[in-house]
Amino acid sequence: MKRILSIVLAVLLLGGVTAVLLREAGADDDDGTATTTVYGMVGSEKSEFFADPEVIRELAGHGLTVRIDPVGSWAMEEAGLDGYDFAFPSSQGPADVLRERLGDTELPARPFYSPLVVMARASAAEVLAAGGIAELDGEHRGLLRMAPYLTAVEEGRTWQDLTGAEAHTELSGALYISSTDPLTSNSGAEYLAAASYVADGDRVADGAEAIERTAPLLRRLIQVQGAQRSSSDAPYRDFLSGIGNSLVLVYESQVAHLLLSGRQPPEDLVVLYPDTTVFSDHTVVPFTEAGKELGELLTNDPELRELAVRHGFRPQGSTAEFAAAVAGHTGYLNHDLTGVRQAPSPTSPVLRAMAERAREQEAGS
Amino acid sequence: MSRPEHRTRTLAATALLTLTALLTAACTQGGAGGDDGGGGNGGAEITVRILAGSELEDTAALLERAAEETGVRAEITWTGTLDASRLLASGGEGGADAEAAGNYDAAWLATNDYLRLHPGSADVIVSETPVATSPVALGVRREAMDRLGWDAGQVTWEQVHRAAADGELTFGMTDPVRSNSGYSALISVASALSGAQSALTAENIDDAAGRLEEFFTGQRLTSGSSGWLAEAFTGRTDVDALINYESVLLSLNRDHDAGLSVVLPTDGVVSARYPLTTLASASPEARDALRTLAEWLREEEAQRALTEDTLRRPVIPEVTPAEAIPDEARRELPYPGSLEIADGLLEAFDSQLRRPSRTVYVLDVSGSMEGERLAGLKAALRRLTGTETDGTAPGETFREREEVTLMPFSTSVVFTETHTVDPADPDAALAGIRETIDGLYTLADTNVYGSLMDAYDLLGEESLEGTFTSIVLMTDGESNYGPTAGDFTEFHNELPAARRTVPVFTVLFGDAAPEELEGIAAQTGGEVFDAVNGSLDDAFREIRGYQ
Repeated sequence: MKRILSIVLAVLLLGGVTAVLLREAGADDDDGTATTTVYGMVGSEKSEFFADPEVIRELAGHGLTVRIDPVGSWAMEEAGLDGYDFAFPSSQGPADVLRERLGDTELPARPFYSPLVVMARASAAEVLAAGGIAELDGEHRGLLRMAPYLTAVEEGRTWQDLTGAEAHTELSGALYISSTDPLTSNSGAEYLAAASYVADGDRVADGAEAIERTAPLLRRLIQVQGAQRSSSDAPYRDFLSGIGNSLVLVYESQVAHLLLSGRQPPEDLVVLYPDTTVFSDHTVVPFTEAGKELGELLTNDPELRELAVRHGFRPQGSTAEFAAAVAGHTGYLNHDLTGVRQAPSPTSPVLRAMAERAREQEAGS
Repeated sequence: MSRPEHRTRTLAATALLTLTALLTAACTQGGAGGDDGGGGNGGAEITVRILAGSELEDTAALLERAAEETGVRAEITWTGTLDASRLLASGGEGGADAEAAGNYDAAWLATNDYLRLHPGSADVIVSETPVATSPVALGVRREAMDRLGWDAGQVTWEQVHRAAADGELTFGMTDPVRSNSGYSALISVASALSGAQSALTAENIDDAAGRLEEFFTGQRLTSGSSGWLAEAFTGRTDVDALINYESVLLSLNRDHDAGLSVVLPTDGVVSARYPLTTLASASPEARDALRTLAEWLREEEAQRALTEDTLRRPVIPEVTPAEAIPDEARRELPYPGSLEIADGLLEAFDSQLRRPSRTVYVLDVSGSMEGERLAGLKAALRRLTGTETDGTAPGETFREREEVTLMPFSTSVVFTETHTVDPADPDAALAGIRETIDGLYTLADTNVYGSLMDAYDLLGEESLEGTFTSIVLMTDGESNYGPTAGDFTEFHNELPAARRTVPVFTVLFGDAAPEELEGIAAQTGGEVFDAVNGSLDDAFREIRGYQ
């Protein structure tokens, strides 16, 4: 248990056990004293959201002070729940496991979500498009066609095999997307979920047989990458730094946050939305009344929804807020997810078995 | 302080908030961090203990500024990235070095990729924040570029291989067993020469072995750390090229007018990412402080300093890389995906691919060594024969094909005994060396310089081509017999070039005179290793990286 917890702790983007004290710093109003402190385990990609002074102020306005421990989504499944009011994993699997543990029958709150996307260098995106693996929609945006992409990886296709790659020094070697370690990181695991869904004829893996059917492909997706990182921040930073693979898997929220904070993205960025992708469903599992209240606030409070959008997340239930916010950035963002369908994610134990299988070293080689 | 005031205030407020959070945490967690200091020390500083890659020494000024602005002071131990990774992983496995590993709150290494391959690593790493990047590149002197007719933007590792194999190019590189720049280069070259299209496999390494061996015939300089290597390289105009981080090569150009062409081979590079990494051994207070530091390092001003002052690549889009940094895109070659492959590559390097070591140990057995000191020496030397069952990484012991000479000395050299580690039966030579070590006994005076001259004379009878030749001098006192320092300098200056470049690595022990040993190291292009403040074991082990 300690080991598993630690593995998943490695997911964390930034952090430590103590996270953020969310309390009004300035005493510009006097009635901020009667707040309830709510403790939660939160996926690391939301640390920044809860540390945002405006989020802190808004929650305080509703009488809540939120303290979080960044904990990897998978670690929450087995974590001790004492002292916590809620858990906020970044996908539904761990939320389901927690609810089962609690005997919870109520629907959990799913305040926001974010699809997995691929940050691609323009050169790579163009070559993929010419090879029928991507469809570009303007200079900085497009779709990644998963079926031909997976076939290419399975066949060990290299960039050199694709027309147009020879004009770009960096485009050589095996064609693959860099993802995070599926054993420790949610985005890496969800990548496998999407791939297995497509490869197995649009079926959600439901057990050992299904895992077996796609195991060779999934193993290839992982093993070509060599050492993998433990958080989606790592490939994202590689991209911003101008190094690393030409195709990296990140959350849309990472790109959207960059754009919405008014920063200039790298000139050669193309955001490719896999035509079949997995949505990271950020799900609040409440353990107490206060936790439940937080889940409801995050879901329904317009201010908090807007703040979530500013951090690049898509609020649940209505697409209008996100669409409005990113109106100036549709050159990069596919705000209404045209041409993108959501692959359902397998249950936690299946996904984990899938990841273990993919990471296994091939016997005898 | 030249910062705008409002910004400083914001940071101070952040620090205060952080502190409040810490105190609250300490209270709610029931004595988690109660023993030192307690509450009430206002805007206090907190010190975090960081194990960091030696090439990051150029961030000292930046960290000083971080301390002033955030109150988070970094107390740094410099080391090689691979050495550090093994230490930390051993901590995770509850191994021999667990206690030593527990002395650090954080690691700041070139990469965590090697560390993460170890089974214990998941229990060690809490979180990581990449702070800057720099690919491993090849810096080539202008004369060599002209001679080879190379264009910096077009060179491949294959071309470098051909030039080295043909004796047209010599280079320096750190020891891949210890240092990430050497290891990254080894991965790059192995990938390129094997034609691997994705992460290296054991077959790739086998396939490329012959060509890798040819490649490494061009290597003239090796070292345990990239800092020493860069320094040694500037003094060795007979070496054409240096493999190191792009940032180190560009700094050599800027600070030492080295005039190197910085080549990012077109068949691929391996980059360092410098993740500031919180370790499980960090207290809640330290974790919070590290987060503050990590966030500060990712702010615009720090990122600008990282690229302008240290010539690394920034990780935020609003800061553009320093002018000197080439903006050519390169394929990123994957780091090996398993420890078996990663260490397999290192073992192959040590026992087969690299040039063999030729080492002469000039060992003080004067009267003052009697007792504990001699026992300590024997133990340290025995370690090099692989007697330790735990934690001896490849390269920490005598290598296959290595020729080892033991020259104990007192008033004069007592005897000269040479063993060659035969790959077919390495234990025979190692057992012989052990036997000799066990039989050492103390004598009278200390003739440092005369004995060193004997060592150089011995090497005069050999061809030094094709080996890494070095002399190790261990003494516990001042030279009080025979030739003087001046005599030695004169002797050394008149040696033929091949022998004059053989470095003497000196081990400062007991009552040895630091200035004497520093003089010898400086004269011969060697280095002093301190076994007075450190251990004799560590000194001898560290020297392995330079042999």
